[in-house]
Amino acid sequence: MGRLGEVLRQRRQRREGSLLTYLMAGSVPPETFLGCVRAFRAAGVTGMEVGFPFSDPMAEGPVIQRAASRSLARGTRWSDLLALLPQVSGELPVAVMTYLNVVLRHGGEKALTELREHGADAVILPDLPLEGLRDLGPHRRTDGLDIVLLASPATGEERLLRLARRTGGFLYLVSRYGTTGLGGGTTPSTRTHPLDLTEEIRQVHEERPRLPVLAGFGVRDAQDVRSFLDQGADGAIVGSLLQDRLNEGADPSELEATVRSLVEGLSSKRLGLDATRERGL
Amino acid sequence: MPEWYGPYGGSYVPETLIPALKELESAWKSARRDPEFRSRFQELARDWGGRPTPLYFAERLTRELGGAEIYLKREDLVHGGAHKLNNALGQGLLALRLGKRRLIAETGAGQHGVATAMIGAKLGLTTEVYMGAADMERQQPNVLRMRLLGATVRPVTQGQQTLKEAINEALRDWIANVQDTHYLLGSAVGPHPFPSLVADFQSVIGRELRRQSRARWGRDPDLVLACVGGGSNAIGTFHPLLRGPARLIGVEARGSGEGPGGGAASLVRGSVGVLHGMRTYLLQDEEGQILPTQSVSAGLDYAGVGPEHAWLKDSGRVEYTAATDRQALEAFHRLARTEGILPALEPSHALAVAIQRAPDLPRDQHLVVTLSGRGDKDLAEVQRLGPAR
Repeated sequence: MGRLGEVLRQRRQRREGSLLTYLMAGSVPPETFLGCVRAFRAAGVTGMEVGFPFSDPMAEGPVIQRAASRSLARGTRWSDLLALLPQVSGELPVAVMTYLNVVLRHGGEKALTELREHGADAVILPDLPLEGLRDLGPHRRTDGLDIVLLASPATGEERLLRLARRTGGFLYLVSRYGTTGLGGGTTPSTRTHPLDLTEEIRQVHEERPRLPVLAGFGVRDAQDVRSFLDQGADGAIVGSLLQDRLNEGADPSELEATVRSLVEGLSSKRLGLDATRERGL
Repeated sequence: MPEWYGPYGGSYVPETLIPALKELESAWKSARRDPEFRSRFQELARDWGGRPTPLYFAERLTRELGGAEIYLKREDLVHGGAHKLNNALGQGLLALRLGKRRLIAETGAGQHGVATAMIGAKLGLTTEVYMGAADMERQQPNVLRMRLLGATVRPVTQGQQTLKEAINEALRDWIANVQDTHYLLGSAVGPHPFPSLVADFQSVIGRELRRQSRARWGRDPDLVLACVGGGSNAIGTFHPLLRGPARLIGVEARGSGEGPGGGAASLVRGSVGVLHGMRTYLLQDEEGQILPTQSVSAGLDYAGVGPEHAWLKDSGRVEYTAATDRQALEAFHRLARTEGILPALEPSHALAVAIQRAPDLPRDQHLVVTLSGRGDKDLAEVQRLGPAR
């Protein structure tokens, strides 16, 4: 198991909530990116999710799409990711999030080995279904790089348990129907709401009691983070909220303040009462 | 229904779509055996869609070229002006069966969008069509037709603003709305079961062609050509002929012959990868990023291709080649003047290769081109590009 999975597991055992923060590599210069990573660490996040751009990211909402376009326009290459990873992993455990074609084009199993050698603990590929794991060769969960699978509100119980058994590091539970982001999609039809996943999370934990479950997609504030924990999740993943501010030119210290407020959602004492407040969930 | 064609195909999509894809597959498996579904489908295909379409002998063109007899499978005469209705009708009825009240679709040239808008109107379903803003500009008549048929056309402004981006947006919409929405995919691409579902609905082209050619000259055609973007009219034409003796040629778009992608010829110029839920040939760079494409025909202007075509290429059963913008335009004008038919720019690519090859074939051979659509939508574009040489 990779370091990220290990840390998440320990925190689950200690009943501590976890927060992963996502930013797109190459959407800003490496110094700015690393400045954000250091700021997030200072704010108390558990791990970093590093996005690598793909030209056609089908699971992404407008914010991450824009970040990917910007990154590609800046000429970001696989080698840039490999150069960045050791510096990120010096600060925090790291998961890389990209699309299957990018990994296959860099040799599939060979690409995963490169990621691991450069400090990545896990890889998340939203267009890799359970059935596609074999495409990545025999590597899989071995040797310290976890392949994290995603489950969705649409996933039925039987399949959810299969995903729980096969995922590496943690299970990424998508909290809503829709793409990443705050729901302000390009069209009204892509705006959706987070759902109550208490039952799904309970089923996963019953199947694999030590497996951390992290919920993501559309996290807006500490209350959303808190709400996931109240549903039984071990943590939350936040991406578009931060990337949107980065796209708009926010600097690392501004983002740090946002992340600090999200980390507060991990502490039940402070926000325990708020979790029951009606938020249209 | 095959999910894999050799190493090609699959369902590389976010987990949210997996149940809907499985549900669609089982709905089609039961519908195809349901006599009521079949008779409803056949009745509409005949009375509303205009099937069967004729196999037409292009006599003057044949005489001019002086080789094999040239026939056209007249899918341009299907209701709406293209083969796209064959699939839209079938999937529309499936959507009803699934209880989905909303249809979404992608469209490049606009013909699939029009076909979806027609079936949406006919069945009383809400219809929204994603179309690249660049394609809306060059296929304006179809945008107007979709709107008149009651569909909402949603311009897609990302990337190159053509078919690939329209598919991206349709997939994203489907991820958000999969509970009440059917994604009526228009080409033989995408995640399983779409490639085989679309091939099933389009195979009526090849079945009719085989029957018509056997009735007419007692055997299968010698050479059959169809254009390939995603490849739905080609797979529909080829499927019933695969086990027979006919030589089969798929014609992609080479564009102006320049540019990083070398037009839009993913089979001729591409390499294997994963896009839009399928493993297939793609135009991509060494980093795995999808390359921009370029073709005079919006319907062929796509960086991927249906996975079954990828396998037919590798197996050698079908020959794939490409025609340039200029060759397609010349074929367009030639057919217009010799046969009184304005073909769409997409099948004009297949015609261009037929025109090259026919003179070298003996006169007792029979060559068939699937004329997948009519050219009315392309008039402004053809005018802009000027007369043939």
